[in-house]
Amino acid sequence: MNIALEINGTTEHLDVAPGVTLLDALRERLGVTGPKKGCDRGQCGACTVHIGGRTALSCLTLAATVTQPVTTVEGLSTPERLHPMQRAFAEHDALQCGFCTPGQIMSAVAAADRGLAEPDEIREFMSGNLCRCSAYPTIVAAVRDGASEEGRADATV
Amino acid sequence: MTARPDAPLKVTGRATYALDNVVEGAAHGYLVLSTVARGELASMDVEAVRAAPGVLAVYTPFEPLPLHPVNSALLGRMWLPLQDKDVRYHGQPIGFVVAETFEQARDAAALADVAYHERPAATSFSDGLTSAVDAQPAASEAPPSLTVLADGVASIEDALEASDVTIDATYETAAQNHAAMEPHSALAVWSGGELTVYAGNQAPHLVASDLASAVDVPVDAVHVENPVVGGAFGGKATSMPALLASAAAVALDRPVKAALTREQVFTATANRPATRQRIALGARRDGGLVAVRHDSWSTTTREIGFVEPTSHGTSREWYTTENLAISQKAVPLDVPPATFMRAPGEAPGSFALESAVDELAEAIGMDPVALRLRNNSTAPPGEDLQWSSKHLDECFEIGAARFGWADRTPGGRRDGDWLVGMGTATAMFPGLRFPATVGVTLHDDGTADVATAGADPGTGLLGVLRIVGAESLDVPQDRVVPRLGDSRLPPGGLSGGSTATASAGSATMVAASTVIEQLVALASSEEGPLRGHDVGYAHGTVYALDAPERDPMTFGDVLRATGRSTLSATGTTAPGEETTKHSFGSWGAQFCEVRVHRLTREVRVSRLLGVFDAGRIINPRTARGQLAGGMIWGVSAALHEGIEFDDDGRMSRRDLADYLLPVNADIPDVDVQFVEHPDTLLSDLGARGLGEIGIVGVAAAVANAVHNATGIRVRRLPIRIEDLLEDG
Repeated sequence: MNIALEINGTTEHLDVAPGVTLLDALRERLGVTGPKKGCDRGQCGACTVHIGGRTALSCLTLAATVTQPVTTVEGLSTPERLHPMQRAFAEHDALQCGFCTPGQIMSAVAAADRGLAEPDEIREFMSGNLCRCSAYPTIVAAVRDGASEEGRADATV
Repeated sequence: MTARPDAPLKVTGRATYALDNVVEGAAHGYLVLSTVARGELASMDVEAVRAAPGVLAVYTPFEPLPLHPVNSALLGRMWLPLQDKDVRYHGQPIGFVVAETFEQARDAAALADVAYHERPAATSFSDGLTSAVDAQPAASEAPPSLTVLADGVASIEDALEASDVTIDATYETAAQNHAAMEPHSALAVWSGGELTVYAGNQAPHLVASDLASAVDVPVDAVHVENPVVGGAFGGKATSMPALLASAAAVALDRPVKAALTREQVFTATANRPATRQRIALGARRDGGLVAVRHDSWSTTTREIGFVEPTSHGTSREWYTTENLAISQKAVPLDVPPATFMRAPGEAPGSFALESAVDELAEAIGMDPVALRLRNNSTAPPGEDLQWSSKHLDECFEIGAARFGWADRTPGGRRDGDWLVGMGTATAMFPGLRFPATVGVTLHDDGTADVATAGADPGTGLLGVLRIVGAESLDVPQDRVVPRLGDSRLPPGGLSGGSTATASAGSATMVAASTVIEQLVALASSEEGPLRGHDVGYAHGTVYALDAPERDPMTFGDVLRATGRSTLSATGTTAPGEETTKHSFGSWGAQFCEVRVHRLTREVRVSRLLGVFDAGRIINPRTARGQLAGGMIWGVSAALHEGIEFDDDGRMSRRDLADYLLPVNADIPDVDVQFVEHPDTLLSDLGARGLGEIGIVGVAAAVANAVHNATGIRVRRLPIRIEDLLEDG
């Protein structure tokens, strides 16, 4: 079936079978490979994207059902400038192998949008994103820092 | 402190993992797995598969994909899929379907109609104990059993009997899966007689050699790339999808992508086996160890293969004792193969040994830290080779002070509804090196490449190459470009055995000093800008020793002046005579606080501290990540992870909802400290490995803390709520 997806500000038209997930459409049809396939059944969070500004598991979302704009980790930054949360993840070494990182960062941005600042709130909110390297302590530090930096960035606008 | 060179790529989604490579016309492969645990394939009706939309090829043992024998440098003789009709375990690869799209391959694979001649399968460890056989522990030259007795002592039993205090207990640990976030996957491209394979792995030069054998092409026609790897932990020495995709790409003459599903990862790769360990300790009243006996059983396949070396990996070396007896047995079962997983041997072995030491401390009435220091070894028992650099006492002293160990009371303490306890354990991992070659190339733009085949599956090796390269060339780090993850680079940097930093780091030092010698010779040569002068090198510049008024020249200046764009050298290092002079190991002291709910018996780890003696720390930032990650793996082994089999031999818990891993909310802040004593007896670099030691001892520290909190001694991992019920 023919569908249109707005991905990171660009509208893409494609012909997919009804059973194709948003994750596979992004990765295999559109070359948007930031979102990762860690389990393909909504258990790891590596495929997390934003749909209409809310976090969603792209492996559990059929591409044909998506009507709102999709943002992936690629859509957060420009070639010149990292998103504050991306910079915080790099600075706090909140990653090792990096495979879960795109999903972690999309959830982290959502945590910041909700104003979560306490470590326990952040731990709870981020618990849908597995990290087998177990960078959890530095992820918490990065989310706190990235959120406050995001706040500061907003304040200067 | 240096950020990971690949962090900007990883946080923006631009890091290219195997399946992120997009090539025109790639077909997609999907595996079919066995649904019985033992028997023979009677038939595979794949007509419906073949007729399904988009299907290009169907391979089964009845119509196999040609694969040739592989003698892997890392794994020995490899089992190859689809070459025979025997079914050895539930979830064994028995088919490979290639179609135009992923969805078509997956949907078609579900149509295979498989019939078996099924035979009764043995998958129960406890039932299998009666068929246990002596077995060579993995990665060891040692015989299965080994005994060291003091003069005049006839047997380990006599030594135990003569001890003032003894404890004797049996411990069990569950089988585990590496569960790297990136499932095993590959893209294979066959073009012009060359095979290029993008696949996450731990040593691309070794994987290239294996694949060349498997598809029967010259090794220099195979190119394996793994610039980033989505976690490995010992589980990516080989890759089933890479084997199948490569052979299919050659057979079909088009690119083939293949990945294991998360469920398939649990059986179509290999796991850490389950272990059972009996430990008897005998000591004098003052805590001095008289006798250590450690008997180990590991589950294996019927062909035996990998045997988890729990007693050889721990009791063999850790403590001073007058008498020692260890043994290793295999329990052959119809289960998926076993392999190396982070701290193979040491991780489950330390749960048993360090729990037993805690039990002994209680029996004697001695502080567990004091008991460990009382028996601190200067060399492995019965051996002359002393530890090159061991500061375990310092680790415990710093750790005890930092953790507030003095506040621990024998019965724990109460905080509202929570029972709070503290536990400790020793950690140890051998200090090893493997042969490694590193290339250093100076460029006329003033930058330098430091390159080795290797892999950085999150370990931080890429940053280590940059730091050691910059230090050895005496230039700022931003002038050094580290390169890894390409089989065509000089062979080295295997990510395994906690060896990469010590191996590739010392080879980098050799390569850098060689290229500097060449540069100096070039500068003063007939064609050089400083011909006729005595030339020195410092701060990345060449200067005339006998003409101080002349400006120093950067290596870029020298290259441009001589009309060259690059100057390269390689350096190779390997274990040498140091291994005949000393024993080598990293050491650590683990501390854990747990809170056990009085009523629900939920266990929460509330504090973790590890103090490590791993020689020189090259990059504290990534070293902390490795060690904290390892410690969290220890919590996971203690409280979360465990493979189990149903009665029909099917592995239960084959996904990330049922196979429990810690999530962020399970983990407290983790405190990692170093005592930095460079170990220059191991290598000029002074660093020992630290990728594995973080996990070692943690599960025992958790169990010991649970005992301190509740008075209940749990000798089986993972610890479950039902283990902590008062009448349980």
